Amino acid sequence: MTADWIEVILIFLILTGFVLLGSSRLISCIRMAAAQGVALGVLVLTEDSIEPTLRLTLIGLATIVLKGFVFPHLLIRALRESNTNKEVQPFVGYVSSLFIGIVMLGFSFWIGYRSGISLAGSSLLFLPVAFFLFLTGLFLIVARRTAINQVLGYLIMENGIYTFGFATVKEMPALVELGVLLDVFVAVFVMGIAIYRINQEFDHIDSDQLRTLKG
Amino acid sequence: MSLEWILPALVALPALLAPVSFAFGTARAALRFCVLGTIVVACLAGLAIWNVSIHGKLSGANDWFMMDALSAYHLIVMMLVFVFSSLYSTSYFAREEQAGNFDITSARRYVALFLGSLAAMLLVLVSNNLGIMWVGIEATTLLTAFLIIIHVTPASLEAMWKYLLICSVGVAFAFAGTLLVAASATSVHTVGVGGLHWTKLMESAQKLDGKLVKIGFIFLVVGFGTKAGLAPMHSWLPDAHSQAPAPVSAIFSGFLLNTALYCILRYVPLVDASTRDSEWARGILVAFGVLSILIAAAFIVAQHDVKRLLAYHSVEHLGIIAFGAGIGGLGAFAALFHILNHSLCKMLSFFCAGSLGQTYGTHDMRKMTGIMKRSPVWGTGLFGSLLALIGLAPFALFLSEFLILKSAWDKGALWAMVFFITGLAVVFVGALRHAITMAWEPAAEFHVKDQFSLLDAFLVFVPLVGLLTLGVWMPQPLKDILIQASIVFGEKA
Repeated sequence: MTADWIEVILIFLILTGFVLLGSSRLISCIRMAAAQGVALGVLVLTEDSIEPTLRLTLIGLATIVLKGFVFPHLLIRALRESNTNKEVQPFVGYVSSLFIGIVMLGFSFWIGYRSGISLAGSSLLFLPVAFFLFLTGLFLIVARRTAINQVLGYLIMENGIYTFGFATVKEMPALVELGVLLDVFVAVFVMGIAIYRINQEFDHIDSDQLRTLKG
Repeated sequence: MSLEWILPALVALPALLAPVSFAFGTARAALRFCVLGTIVVACLAGLAIWNVSIHGKLSGANDWFMMDALSAYHLIVMMLVFVFSSLYSTSYFAREEQAGNFDITSARRYVALFLGSLAAMLLVLVSNNLGIMWVGIEATTLLTAFLIIIHVTPASLEAMWKYLLICSVGVAFAFAGTLLVAASATSVHTVGVGGLHWTKLMESAQKLDGKLVKIGFIFLVVGFGTKAGLAPMHSWLPDAHSQAPAPVSAIFSGFLLNTALYCILRYVPLVDASTRDSEWARGILVAFGVLSILIAAAFIVAQHDVKRLLAYHSVEHLGIIAFGAGIGGLGAFAALFHILNHSLCKMLSFFCAGSLGQTYGTHDMRKMTGIMKRSPVWGTGLFGSLLALIGLAPFALFLSEFLILKSAWDKGALWAMVFFITGLAVVFVGALRHAITMAWEPAAEFHVKDQFSLLDAFLVFVPLVGLLTLGVWMPQPLKDILIQASIVFGEKA
């Protein structure tokens, strides 16, 4: 496939990041993260600057299945249990979040081009997109209250690292990548259970209210 | 005899034993199985360590697994902590069961997770591939998270959530660091499979892209440092340590933190060789070490909860270890020695704090008075271990701290020394006050003295005597392996 398509996917990844920064309905946030996961998997499958191998196909498919379907399913279930459907009063408002997103994007482009890291991937956009996703994920973790949004932040951050790895280190052994995917899967699973338990015990999933332990 | 199979077997054995725990009918039986399983694993580990000490490096499964003196030494400490903790959990949970806080469901879950985290930590120690090492660290986070909520309470859930999120995000940084190091090697060799093997990277270390390795190392220190409890990334630590059941706190403090620090130590020689600068990475370790000591000192003075106090001691001592490793030379040797001392001491103190907490029904040090009268064994243990933790001679911790200080002096790192001594002095005064209150203030009314079994006495006095002995005399095999390990770590013998 041509490099154009790769860039379309990469730009789609940036857009999903912005939607996540700007929306308050948790269900649409989860869906957006799922779309991002699928896009990431497709990226792995279509990138052809090196020979398509069994390893890449395997990892691309595993990414699509896990990030596109399994994780969202787990999170939606946790969401349904908790009777929460909106992020009310995040620490940073949505309009400001979008502005911060623009700043982060600019910064990512600047550092992506300046870093001088040699790319294995075919597009110059790879590094800026990776940094942008990484920063967006971190931002969501600190700027949102609900536990679900924090898990999403973790996932977006992971996607960023994943993109970075894909762009720079083509030759990761499959065993390592599958191990990493497995870990992320278990992480989301465990966090889902934690959210369920927290909701049972506290009747909410607002992590800002978890603050009895201090000092 | 070829021992190729032993390293994979070490990881597989506890992982296979873990699900067996669901077959047991009583909590007592499950906990006994846990002790047995841990001891079997320890024997196997002993065989591997013995082999390493005689023949040097041991590898297996096409170089995916590797054990050298550094990992063998860590393995010794780890098996000590796990065997003692499994023994202690029989005593601790028996009392919990009497109080109606522990049943067969929790027992099964506890044993399965205990053996599971043992497997994950073993994976970290014996894997030669830096990617798999990362996978192991993340796995320990996920498995141990549930150990915190063996007793489900709002506070323990809160601690678990913080632990899970902060450590997962932190460890994600470490993954970015791992990728950066991998990226630094792309120009050297394109061989996919061996690309992240530590041994391979060490061979070609001089050809790695030094700038990328440096950036990567910063990510790695922040990432693994979060898990190791280095300040200022330590905020999850006091919560998790104080809310987990005591045997779990002992594992957390006694070895989980060290597992993450071990990963950082693995990268140090790599950074040294690729940047041709043996000071840069060590300077970072010293800085984090000093910061951890100072921040912990401030919190120790103001602390009232005994388990949180011990948690901040962990931050302090991990800081001391990072500091010593950063100073290098004799300091690296002493830092490695300090790992053993700290783990022994911290495990003992958490055992005692846990059992005293059961007796008193609180962890508030202002209410836990007269501990030695009310509970002679655990009380003596806690008092003794607190004295050791603040670095009183002739306990072994004094010796290793003294050696670290001496090597800092030899190196002329005066400012670092000033901070180090200030921190330790504050800790000494602050914690001594707590210890004296608990030991000598008259106890509130109580009717029965605490009963104790032979096992309890064993669990208290063996580590205590061990710490005293190591303070005055170091056995030759221990000295040998410490020297070997510090050579791996990049020190000339």
